[in-house]
Amino acid sequence: MSITSDILRGHTEAIILSSLLEQDSYGYQINKDIMRKTNNTYELKEATLYSAFRRLEQAGSIRTYWGDETVGARRRYYAITDEGRKAYQGYKQEWQEAKEIIDQLLK
Amino acid sequence: MMKEKIRQHFNMIFADAPKTRRAIDLKEEMTQSAMDKFDDMVADGYSEADAYENVIHSIGDVTELFPAVEERNQLVLSEKDRKKKALLTSIAVGIYIFAGAVFFYFGADGGNPEFGMVLTILLCIVPTVMLVYASNMYPDYHQKEEPDMVELYKAAKYSSNKARAVRKSINSIIWSVTLVLYFVISFISYRWQVTWIIFLIAFCLQAIVKLVFELRADEMTFIDTVKK
Repeated sequence: MSITSDILRGHTEAIILSSLLEQDSYGYQINKDIMRKTNNTYELKEATLYSAFRRLEQAGSIRTYWGDETVGARRRYYAITDEGRKAYQGYKQEWQEAKEIIDQLLK
Repeated sequence: MMKEKIRQHFNMIFADAPKTRRAIDLKEEMTQSAMDKFDDMVADGYSEADAYENVIHSIGDVTELFPAVEERNQLVLSEKDRKKKALLTSIAVGIYIFAGAVFFYFGADGGNPEFGMVLTILLCIVPTVMLVYASNMYPDYHQKEEPDMVELYKAAKYSSNKARAVRKSINSIIWSVTLVLYFVISFISYRWQVTWIIFLIAFCLQAIVKLVFELRADEMTFIDTVKK
């Protein structure tokens, strides 16, 4: 495994929260969102995505509800909670700090 | 049809998952997500085979899902195994009863009690083996349970040490009583050609003792795990 994908995987939850800050979404939509933002270079494995959902839900960072699609399959939507917003700010700050430290060490 | 293949793949992945509402929802959700991706890729001009490969590949390592899916009870046998175990047990009991009937038939007839005895003992071997097998059908949960494994191991070792000690003493009693009985009966009856059967009986007894201990050990571990 490359360092890049290791680091990315370590931030799966922050990436998901960031995507949910924009709007409520469902699994595949979030993954598409990630692909679009990274110019199709990165996508989450389904297993990684859904186990992160489970952890976020248990931590109270997200909540889920069933969509009311009139056509096609019903989808489970995910929405960020206030708790989740706080968690996201925490992640973001930690990432900034880690980034600065690594930048200084790898000059 | 490729979509059917995707569905089957998820059925396979989730075959071992607990039959909870959550697990079923999760399977539905992931399948739907895979279908969406498949449709999008085909719409983008990929061949169905390529899209299928890509979708299956992007499922990733599902083992990380299952601890999250919640308490996976290793001790619950699958429906199939439970039926198999019940069948084995009932057939074994049936054979025991049949063996008893054979014993009484030859004994009461007065004709050939020795032959009846040998036949009965031989008949008893099959159901005993079946029961031992059935009691060992539980999956090997010790290796899969990471938390408290050390504690579990210690507990198992302690109880099995104790159980083994008791079992050993019962066995030595069985064999010494057998030896004494063999000589006493032989000298009284002078029928050496028959009396050796007593060793076969002792052997059967030993197997039964082993079985009883194994069943009890199973129960004990089961209770321990449930308590946790």
